[in-house]
Amino acid sequence: MTSRRGFLAGLLATGVAPAATWADVGAPAYLSAAQGADGAYYLLGVGPEGGIRFRQKIPGRGHAAAAHPQRAEAVGFARRPGTFAFVLDCLSGDTVAELSSPEGRHFYGHGVFSRDGALLFTAENDYDNARGVIGVWDVRAGYVRTGEFDSQGVGPHDVRLMPDGETLVVANGGIETHPDSGRTKLNIPVMQPNLTYLRQNGSVLETVELAPALHMNSIRHLDLRADGLVGFAMQWQGGQGTLPPILGVHQRGAAPRLFGADPEVAGQMNGYGGSVSFSGDGRHLAVSSPRGARVQVFDVASGALAQVLEMEDVCGLGAAPAGFLASAGTGQVAMLEADGRHPLGTADVRWDNHLVPLHT
Amino acid sequence: MRYLITAAVTLFAALAGPGARAGEKAEAILDQHVLPGMRLLAERTADLDATAQVDCAPKSEDLRAAYGAAFDAWISVSHLRFGPAETDTRGFALAFWPDTRSMTPKTLRAMIAAADPAVDTPESFATVSVAGRGFYALEYLLYDPAFTSDETADYSCRLVRAIAVDIARNAAALEADWRQSYADKMRHPSAEGPYQSEEEVLQEFFKALVTDLEVDADMRLGRPMGQIDKPRPTRAEVRRSGRSLRHVVLSLTALRQLSDLLSADDAGLSTRMDKDFDYALSRADKLSDDPALAGVATPQGRIRIESLQQAIRAVRADANQFMGPTLGVAAGFNSLDGD
Repeated sequence: MTSRRGFLAGLLATGVAPAATWADVGAPAYLSAAQGADGAYYLLGVGPEGGIRFRQKIPGRGHAAAAHPQRAEAVGFARRPGTFAFVLDCLSGDTVAELSSPEGRHFYGHGVFSRDGALLFTAENDYDNARGVIGVWDVRAGYVRTGEFDSQGVGPHDVRLMPDGETLVVANGGIETHPDSGRTKLNIPVMQPNLTYLRQNGSVLETVELAPALHMNSIRHLDLRADGLVGFAMQWQGGQGTLPPILGVHQRGAAPRLFGADPEVAGQMNGYGGSVSFSGDGRHLAVSSPRGARVQVFDVASGALAQVLEMEDVCGLGAAPAGFLASAGTGQVAMLEADGRHPLGTADVRWDNHLVPLHT
Repeated sequence: MRYLITAAVTLFAALAGPGARAGEKAEAILDQHVLPGMRLLAERTADLDATAQVDCAPKSEDLRAAYGAAFDAWISVSHLRFGPAETDTRGFALAFWPDTRSMTPKTLRAMIAAADPAVDTPESFATVSVAGRGFYALEYLLYDPAFTSDETADYSCRLVRAIAVDIARNAAALEADWRQSYADKMRHPSAEGPYQSEEEVLQEFFKALVTDLEVDADMRLGRPMGQIDKPRPTRAEVRRSGRSLRHVVLSLTALRQLSDLLSADDAGLSTRMDKDFDYALSRADKLSDDPALAGVATPQGRIRIESLQQAIRAVRADANQFMGPTLGVAAGFNSLDGD
């Protein structure tokens, strides 16, 4: 009997094999990093109902991942300031390529593929120059570094591909760090975060900043709606005295709109947005706060607070048909719907920050 | 049997836990640590202001002494960066550091070149970028040869005085805020205030402790250390005035007092933390011939600085591992270590 895996391996060796697709690994809807009960770290495929579809060991604590648009191939990044990323065959668990950031750069933990899967873009720190860059990697050549361009800000964190399949949108968090001083923040009083839209050759299409009073609100995580509306979650660096909103949306060419400015609403989240996601129908936008142990859901059209759901150490958020899927460091997974939180059980892992959607 | 008793006692202590003495601990921290430190800062910065108005020459011994005494007082409370230090960006206006883009000398040079009239009144000076204000800006004017030449002495003198006034005003506002308002909010936690329980008050102080230990190890030492093949001695904090090591020692001394007060009801923890701090301070003693941490550039010097850095990291690791849990600091996988 030839096992399917052996059969595929044989085909791969001949060079004519179609690579495994996401369907071959259980058709996950999301990727997430996690720590297992054994203390080791894993990259997991998560089904739309919150079940674990595949589980592959990774060398250290992960942050986010980038999913190849067709092949069951994921790029896992070490947590910042890691200089290492690996490309995982999600079927076999094999590391099919390793990426080292070039001299003087480190990864921030997020990246995204071009729509055809030919290129990978990675958010990086050119730390001696305190400059954000987007690294460009040739996937077909085996993940070879082919270039980089300016991210147009300091501390690029999340990077996504807009629904047009061409434009990159980057959350330049604004916070300067340098590996010599670990994760300590070096420029809080003068930080200037922004949201920038770039062509894949690095030319700038649009840069958006918030009002000067919000310059300490680090724009870090993104989610996109099919019509190009960008949802962004922020992390406030200005102390606990007056807490600003940590969630907003932006449509190209328009001014950004912030959600949750009411002091009581903002106060619940401790100034810390962990993840952001649109609902499956695109009418709602949710932000999680592990520090506030809550998820807040807003009506996108009106900007009104629609729901507050409590969940200990919640961070990962993903779209679900009737709302959101949420994951927590406690291992809990839940479906968040209009009538409340529906627990889906507790996995034997500590879910890390993000549920990365697979758009297949 | 002895072990059983120990276990039972430990369990009981854990149950009695944070609640029982949280109020007393917070009172002690405020009365013995925070308020005296703020009072000293207000007094010393008022002295600095008065001295600068009499003698603004960069090489004036009186001025330099007053500057050093005021800066000492600030470093001894600079870990208290929450609440009153956040209001009106007082903390940043007193202390703009690190300055990774040399904004302080750029701002000062631009002001001098333009003879910027912002120095004329405290109100207008308060609108100057934080990079051109506070103790770190004043260090350039008193100790950097590029700023102590005679050519622009007249304007530089006015700038020194303006910075000294501004420092004194910010420090006075900070002290008054603590004394008249914020200390009470910490003494009496309430649903309407910034702290809802005594545990939250102690957790704020605990956070200040571990954060500043990180500043000492990663910024004050880590930045000049750089990489072994690429040391960065010119990144040392306040190297121009030769105060780099002094700041680490002042910080550790203040943090040790805070740590003692936070662990006052737990003899074992208190002893452990004291031992950690003693060791770190003994490593700093060995560096007394290297006040500006220039040794990062030599193999021998680097080993000694690295051993201080490791000792400070050990204090922090023990604080996180042993003190955090006694104060109810939950170690959430995501909440503790954000990204």
